[in-house]
Amino acid sequence: MSLSVKDTKNRPRSPYLPVRAVVKRAVMASATEMLFTVAPEDASLLDYRAGQFFMVGLPGYGEAPISVTSPPGGARGFELCVRAAGNLTGALHRLKKGDEMTLRGPFGTSFPVEDMKGADLLFIAGGIGIVPMRSLIKTVLGRRRSFGKVTLVYGTKAPDEMLFKGEFDGWREKGLDMRLTIDSAHPDWSGHVGLVTTLLPGVDVGPKTIVVIIGPPVMYKFVIIGLRRRDIGAERIFVSLERRMKCGVGKCGHCQINSAYVCQVGPVFRLSDLKGLPEAL
Amino acid sequence: MKNIEQIRCLTDAGLKRLVEGLIGDYEVFGTVKKDGFPAWGRLSDAAELELFQTPTHLSAKEFFFPQRETLLRFNRRDSTHEQVVEARKQVVIGLHSCDIHAIALMDRVFDYGTPDVNYKARRDKTIIIGADCFPDEYCFCSSVGTMDANEGFDLFIHRLKKGVLVRVGSKRGEALLERYASALPATPAELLEKEKREKERATSFTTTLNAPPSALPEIYAGSDESPVWDRIGAICYGCGSCNNVCPTCYCFDIKDEVKANLIDGERVRVWDACTLEDFAKVAGGHNFRKTRASRLRHRFNRKFRYLTGRFGGLFCVGCGRCSRTCLVNINIASVTNELIRERYKK
Repeated sequence: MSLSVKDTKNRPRSPYLPVRAVVKRAVMASATEMLFTVAPEDASLLDYRAGQFFMVGLPGYGEAPISVTSPPGGARGFELCVRAAGNLTGALHRLKKGDEMTLRGPFGTSFPVEDMKGADLLFIAGGIGIVPMRSLIKTVLGRRRSFGKVTLVYGTKAPDEMLFKGEFDGWREKGLDMRLTIDSAHPDWSGHVGLVTTLLPGVDVGPKTIVVIIGPPVMYKFVIIGLRRRDIGAERIFVSLERRMKCGVGKCGHCQINSAYVCQVGPVFRLSDLKGLPEAL
Repeated sequence: MKNIEQIRCLTDAGLKRLVEGLIGDYEVFGTVKKDGFPAWGRLSDAAELELFQTPTHLSAKEFFFPQRETLLRFNRRDSTHEQVVEARKQVVIGLHSCDIHAIALMDRVFDYGTPDVNYKARRDKTIIIGADCFPDEYCFCSSVGTMDANEGFDLFIHRLKKGVLVRVGSKRGEALLERYASALPATPAELLEKEKREKERATSFTTTLNAPPSALPEIYAGSDESPVWDRIGAICYGCGSCNNVCPTCYCFDIKDEVKANLIDGERVRVWDACTLEDFAKVAGGHNFRKTRASRLRHRFNRKFRYLTGRFGGLFCVGCGRCSRTCLVNINIASVTNELIRERYKK
C-alpha cells in the first residue's frame, strides 16, 4: 500500500525530488558538447558557487552530475555544458528550446574565490575540464582588479575539441593570459603542440600563485609533478575531481574516494587535503 | 529507552498468542526455515516462526531499505513527477543483537545530512522484536562490541527451556505485551537460567579478532599495501554477494523504469555493490577501482575504517554473513586477523 500523492504533500521533502528547469537555449559547443541555458522553476537553485554541480536528469533516462559552466549571479538561469557520452546525455542533446530537464542541487564544494583575492592565479584545464573552469574564469574576470596575474593553460586532443573559442578574445581583453595547446599536430592548428604539462615551464609562477587544475583523471598526476618542481605548495593547489554519482547527498557510495564522499567534501579539493586519500589522484 | 527495560516471562503459548495477535494487526515478518536455512519470511501463522541460533542468510535491512523501491513517479507526457514514500506498519521478529546494532548504524547513515525520507518512514513504522542467539564458526560479534543489544528494540526474546523471557525496550513494546499476551514478572530461577545461557554463549565463540575494536581503524589505515588484498583479489569472483547479505552495506544505484506506454515511469533505488566491476566507473570508461583487490580493500575499509569517523562506530557488526556466503571462502575475520598480525609484526 503506497501513500497517495496527497499523503506525501505534507511530508518532508525527499532529497531525490528534482526541480523542473526550462531550456532557454541549446546550442552545440563542439561536435560532442551541447551548451544549455536553463531556468529552474525554483529560483533558490540559482544560488550556487563556481565549482558546484547539479544532478541533471530526464525522467526515463536518469540523472548525472554536471558542473555549472556559467558564473554565479544570473538572474533567471545558468549554463550547463554536456558531452554526449551515454543514454542520458544523448537524450539531453535532443532537447530544444522550451523543453524541460530536471535539476537537483547545487551540490558540493566550490573554488575559494574570496581566498584568491590579491593572488596570481594559474588555471590549468584539460579537455572538458574547461567546463567547470569557465565558471571560475568568468567569476574572476568579472572582478578582474581583485586578482593579480591570471593565466589559463588549456589543452585538448584536437583543435575542434576546444570549447568556448568564440569567447577567447573577450577573455584576453579582460586580462586573461591564455596559453593553448593540442596534444598532437593538426593541419588546422598553428599554435603550441604537446600535453598541457609542456606549457608549464613557460608560465611565470611565484610564491603567491594559486593553481586550479581540472582535467581528465590521467592529467592530474603529471601536472602536479610539474608544479611541485616549481615549488608550489600543495596548500596552494586546488583540483576538481570527477566521480560517478547517483544521489548527491552522501549516501549512495559511488563517489567515495577512500573515506571521502566527493559530493560532500568535493568535487573541489585543496591538494594538501588529499594526503590521506590515495585513491584520489 | 534504557531505563524502561524490564524483564517479563511468557509461556510458549503466551509467545504464540503474542505473535498471532501481531499477525492479526500488522504485517509480520519473522525468521523461518527456507530450504533448511534461516531466512526472513512473511508470517501468516505463529507456528511458522522459528527462532534460530544463527543469523539469517540475508540481513533484515530489506525491511527498511528494500532491494528495490520507488522514489519518484513521473509522467513524461505531462512532464510531471512526484515523490513516493512507501511505508506500512510492520513487525520484524527474530533480529539478533548484531542485527539491532546494524539498524542503529543504518539509522545514522540515512539520517546524515539530508535525511532520507523513504528510509525514515519505513523505520518509524517498524516494530522490532529481537531474539537471542548462539554463535556458529563465522560469528564474531563478541569481538566488535555488538554481542548485546540494550536498546534499539521494542521487545527482545530470550529462550528458556520452558517459555521465554521478554525484555521490554520501549513503551510501544510494553503496550504490545500488555495487549496481546499476559506476561508475568520473571522469577529468580528464570533469570538465572537466562544468565547461565548468556555466559555459555559468551564463551562459545570460535572466531575472534585478535585486537580490540578501537584498534581496528588504525590497523586498517596501515594496511593499504598489504599482500592480503592481491591474494583475496585473485580468488574473488566479484559477485557482490558479500554486499548483498551485509546488514550495513547501504550503497545504491538509482534507475529509471518506463512503462510500455513510454509515458509513465518510476525512478527506483536498487541495492548496488562496491565489489562489482562498474561501481566506480565513469562516463568515458575510466574506472577508479579497476581491480578486484582494490574493490575488496574498499569494502573491508568501509567496514573497519572509512565510516567510523563520520558515524562513530565500526560498520562490521560481526554477523559473519559475508564469510558464510562467500563462494571462495574469503573470511572477514581471518582477513582482519591477518592485517592485525602484519601490524604487530612491524
